[in-house]
Amino acid sequence: MAKFYDMDDIITDEEVVSVVFEKAACGVGIDPSSETDSVEVGSKVELPFWLAHELHLRQAVSMNVPTCFDQKTKLEIQADSACVDLRSRCPFFYEFGCKIAPLVGVRTIGPLLLSAFKSRYKEVLTKAHTAAFSAASKHLTILTKEETNLYEAAQSSMTAFKRWRMGGPRFQRASVLGRKRKSTN
Amino acid sequence: MYGRKAFQLVKELASGEKGQLTPYNSDLFDQVTAECSQHHLELQSLIRKIQEEGLDVQTTRNSEHYGSLIHHLALVRNKRCLMAYVHNRAEIIRSLIWKVGPVLPQEIQERLSHTEEEYFKRHSAALQSCMSRLDLDLTVDMVPPKDPYIQVRVLDDIGVVLSDDKTTNFARHSMHFLKRTDAEQFISRGLMEELTG
Repeated sequence: MAKFYDMDDIITDEEVVSVVFEKAACGVGIDPSSETDSVEVGSKVELPFWLAHELHLRQAVSMNVPTCFDQKTKLEIQADSACVDLRSRCPFFYEFGCKIAPLVGVRTIGPLLLSAFKSRYKEVLTKAHTAAFSAASKHLTILTKEETNLYEAAQSSMTAFKRWRMGGPRFQRASVLGRKRKSTN
Repeated sequence: MYGRKAFQLVKELASGEKGQLTPYNSDLFDQVTAECSQHHLELQSLIRKIQEEGLDVQTTRNSEHYGSLIHHLALVRNKRCLMAYVHNRAEIIRSLIWKVGPVLPQEIQERLSHTEEEYFKRHSAALQSCMSRLDLDLTVDMVPPKDPYIQVRVLDDIGVVLSDDKTTNFARHSMHFLKRTDAEQFISRGLMEELTG
């Protein structure tokens, strides 16, 4: 419960997992294919992770491996991890992977996450310092949230270093006010 | 799908830039609380059904049990999303007083709900009373200045301001030599900029 208020954690929990019900449940409208307000044994339903997880703990459902950790993604990551668009697959690829790995019982997810992160990490830090802005913005669209944070940390440390070397104004407009320039009237 | 609205509420706040407030979405918030009441009713009716059949609520594992479990989990999830929404906004609001001072600019004030405004006012009053008891202004810059005076340029018409013993007219584009502590709050509100070199 350490992350109870963590918004990123909440968003990770919303990722969809496909599950097969092993117990029937009535009075709930979560199965779109069912005409009545109930779920039969053996029906396949897409549930958000927060629900699938708790039901899995009570042996009411069995979980399938989400598509973002399937064989196809694995092959793509092995081929050239730096170019795989992980954001469109799952913006919290690593966090979600860590949550789901112990539940689905597939041993390859852990090593897959580790190898993907290691090789992409290098790429992210290099790009953060060298790439021109136009090239960087294209690169940013394939990063997961974690990697974007790393990228921004690398850039802000570089600007902080430059400011320290060159000197500059100590005070600045508060960042909460946004980047908007004052209106010219 | 259950909990989708609550998720949208959190997502909306999270998708804004870091430390930025989005307008308070009371509409969606109310929809989520309405969804919670609905879950509560359905949960109760399912529990009643189990009791009518003469079964023990604690140990029964029939379809009603799993139905009520799903409603319960949806309730907990919605609660978490609502709490996170309020909590994270409150955190940003508390940080505002350190960044922009006790007077909020119009553009931020518009994004707060009524209770959040009240919260900000009370928090700033508490901080003020603490500072006056300590006789120390805690909101000034943490790094000791090299020079107590700085050169500033006014970016917006501020008007005539009384400071210490004299009045100064801060017209737009005029330049002034001010005490650092006086200039600070104007700069953080974006009304002045510091000139260097």
